Amino acid sequence: MTDATFPQVRIVPLRLLKPTTAESLLNKLASITGVQRILIRGPGLPENVPYGPARGNPNPHSDRSTIQVVDTEIALRVQVGEVILEVENDSLIAEIQSICDDFFVNFPYQIKTGRFMKTDPTLVDYARYGPDADPDLIGLADPRSGDRPVIIRTK
Amino acid sequence: MAYKPQYGPGTSIVAANRRKQMNPNHKLERVRSVTDEDIVLILGHRAPGSAYPSAHPPLAEQQEPDCPMRRLVKPTDGAKAGDRVRYIQFTDSMFNAPSQPYQRTYTECYRFRGIDPGTLSGRQIVECRERDLEKYAKELVETELLDPARTGIRGATVHGHSLRLAEEGMMFDMLQRSVLGEDGIVRYVKNQIGEPLDRPVVIGKPMDENWLKEHTTIFHSLVGTPYREDTEYIEYIQRIHSLRTKYGFMPRKE
Repeated sequence: MTDATFPQVRIVPLRLLKPTTAESLLNKLASITGVQRILIRGPGLPENVPYGPARGNPNPHSDRSTIQVVDTEIALRVQVGEVILEVENDSLIAEIQSICDDFFVNFPYQIKTGRFMKTDPTLVDYARYGPDADPDLIGLADPRSGDRPVIIRTK
Repeated sequence: MAYKPQYGPGTSIVAANRRKQMNPNHKLERVRSVTDEDIVLILGHRAPGSAYPSAHPPLAEQQEPDCPMRRLVKPTDGAKAGDRVRYIQFTDSMFNAPSQPYQRTYTECYRFRGIDPGTLSGRQIVECRERDLEKYAKELVETELLDPARTGIRGATVHGHSLRLAEEGMMFDMLQRSVLGEDGIVRYVKNQIGEPLDRPVVIGKPMDENWLKEHTTIFHSLVGTPYREDTEYIEYIQRIHSLRTKYGFMPRKE
C-alpha cells in the first residue's frame, strides 16, 4: 500500500438513497478538487435471484440503474447506504461537511473521519489481481464480481 | 374466579399493543381490503381459481381409526379436505412495524388453529393447510398486523428488517416485491418468492408515522417507545433472567 495516509471520511445518511439522490450527491462530491477515491457501499441488488425457490430468475429492480457522475456512467450494483471518500488533506473535510449539510435536508446524516478503506490486499485480492496489483485500486471493487473501479476525470 | 390470561407485562403502549394482538377476544382493526384472488397471487402456491391440490384423500373418504383424540379435536377445513401444507412468511422492519416475529407467533397461536409457526430473528413463517392458510393470510394482511411499507411478505430473500429504510420509507427488499407508486400506493409486483406477477396487487397506502408509533409492538429507543421506559417490563424480564440463571446452578438446600 502507499506509504502516505490520506484523510478519509464516511458519510452515512439515515435513509438508503435512491439512484437519483445518490447521483446528485456524488456529482457534488466528485467535483471537489482533491477527492482521490470514492467508495459507495450498501445492500446488494443482484441481477438474478441468488437463492430461494426462484433462484436464477431475473430480478428487475428500479434502484439498480446507471447513474452519471461528472462525465462517467456508473452501473449501480447496490442501494447506496454510505459514501466513503479519501481526500488530499484535512481542509477538504469541512468543505465536504458543508456540502452534506446543504444536501441532506429531508433526513439527517452522519459524517465521520478515520480509516474506512481497505489498506492491504486480502487473499481474494491477491488471487484476483496478482502480486503487482495497483494498491490504490484495492478495495474499491468487489474482487469476486469481476467489476473494476470507475475512473472519473474532473477538470 | 375464572382464570383471565394476562398475555404479557408492561405499562407502555407497545406492551398494550402486544396484549391486544395476542388476545383472541380483541377484534383486530381492519385497515385495508384485499381480495381472495390477490392473496392467492401474493402467496404464489397455486393459480387463482384452480383447485386445491391434495396431499391425501379427504378425511370423510378415509377409514379413520377409532381414536378419542380425533373425536375431541375437530379437523380444520384444510385438514378435512386433505390440502397440502403451505406457508406465508413475513419480515417486519425494526422501525415501528406493527408486529414482529415472536409477537406474530404468539398472536397466531392464540387466534388460529392447525398452524406451525417458525420464529426467527428477522422473519416469521407460518405453515398450515392451504385453504386455512389463505383464510389466515387474509386476516394477517388486512388487519393492523401489517403496514405496506414496514412489513414485507417474503417467502425467501428476507434481508431488510434491520436495515435503514429507503428514502420514501419502504423497507429494503433486494427483490423489490412491493413498489411504492407515485400515487402513494404500495403494489406487490412479485409473489412472495420473487416471481413476477401478471398484474400488480394493490395493498394500500403506508400508514403514517404517528399511527405506526401508536400501533407498533417493537420497542425502539430512537424512533419509538424506549424499552427502558417500561419499568414493569424490565422487572418481569429481570425476574425471568434471574430465575433461569439460578435454576441453571440447580440451587438446593443442604
